[in-house]
Amino acid sequence: MRRHKIDLTTWFLAVVAIGLAGVAWAHGGIDMALDGLKRGGYELLRVTPMLIAAFLVAGLTQALVSPKIVERWLSSQAGWRGILVACIGGALIPGGPYVYYPIAGALLQSGAGVGVLISFISAKNLWAISRLPYEFTLLGSNLTLIRIALTFAIPPLLGFLAELFFGRTIVQIREAVR
Amino acid sequence: MIQATVIMIAIAAVLLVYAWRLGEDRHIRGIRSGTATLKRTLPLLVVAFIIVGYVNVLSPQDLVRTWIGPDSGGRGLLIGTGAGMLLPGGPYIIFPLIATLYQAGAGIGPTLAMITSWASLALLNVTFELPFLGWRFTLVRLTIGLLIPPLVGLLAGALF
Repeated sequence: MRRHKIDLTTWFLAVVAIGLAGVAWAHGGIDMALDGLKRGGYELLRVTPMLIAAFLVAGLTQALVSPKIVERWLSSQAGWRGILVACIGGALIPGGPYVYYPIAGALLQSGAGVGVLISFISAKNLWAISRLPYEFTLLGSNLTLIRIALTFAIPPLLGFLAELFFGRTIVQIREAVR
Repeated sequence: MIQATVIMIAIAAVLLVYAWRLGEDRHIRGIRSGTATLKRTLPLLVVAFIIVGYVNVLSPQDLVRTWIGPDSGGRGLLIGTGAGMLLPGGPYIIFPLIATLYQAGAGIGPTLAMITSWASLALLNVTFELPFLGWRFTLVRLTIGLLIPPLVGLLAGALF
C-alpha cells in the first residue's frame, strides 16, 4: 500500500474549517456546528457520482495526451500561426503549474515568441480541457457555460496583443532566464 | 444535476472505449491515473465541502450581497478580481467555494470576475513562473491580463 501524504493546503484548509466550526458553535451552539458538517457532507455525497466520472475523464485525457507530445508539437511553432497552435496545446496539456511552466521555459529557450508563450499559458488557464470535468461538477453547468462563452476569445487575443506590444522584449526575457 | 451527471458518465465511457481501442493499455493507465488523483485529493475534497457546509449555515448573505452582490457595481468587479488573484488552492476547493458564494447572493458579474481572475491571474502560480520565464514575462502577462476579469464580469452582468 502506498501512503498518501496530506499536503499543506489541506492542513491549512482544515484549520479554516475548524475555525468556521468554532464560529458556528459560538453563533448557534452545537446544533449549528453539526448542521454545517451535515450540509457539507450532503453536498459532497450529491456530487460524488459525477465527481467519480469527472476524475475518470481527467485521468483518461491524461493517458491520451502526454505533455511530451504537446512540447514536441509546439517547439516548431512561431509567429501568428504559432499563437493558434499554442492555444490548442495549452488547452490539451494535462497537469498543474509544475508541468506546464517547465515546458513553457523549454519553449522559450527553443525560440518561441512572447505571443506563443502567453497564448499557451492563457489557454492552459482558460481552455484547459482536463479541468472542465471538475468545473462542470463543482461549479455547476450554468456558471461553467457562461464562463466558457465569455472567455473563449481571450487566449488568442492576449497572444496577439502580447506579440503586438511586447514582441521585441522576448530577447531580454530569454537572456534573463538563461 | 442528474442530466450533468449522465453527460459526464457518457463522456467517461466514450473516452474509455477510445483509449481501449488505441491500445497499449491506455484505458488502464487512464483509470489508474484518475483513481490516483481521486485518492490524493479526497482529504482536500472532504475539507473543502465541510467549509462549503459552514459557509452555507453561517449564510453571510448580507456580507456577500454588500460586497459582491448583483448591485455592487464596479467595486464588486474589482473585489471579485482581487479575491480571485489571492484565492489559494486548486479547482477542488475554489469551484465549490465560488459556487457557494454565488448561491449566497453574489452577482453573476463579480462571480465571473472571480473565476476568471483565479484561473488566469492567481498569484500563487507566479512562484512557478518566475524560475522558468522570469519577472519580465510575468510583468508582460499581468499587464495585458489584468483588465480581462473585470471586463468578463462586466459582460456577464450585462448579458446574463
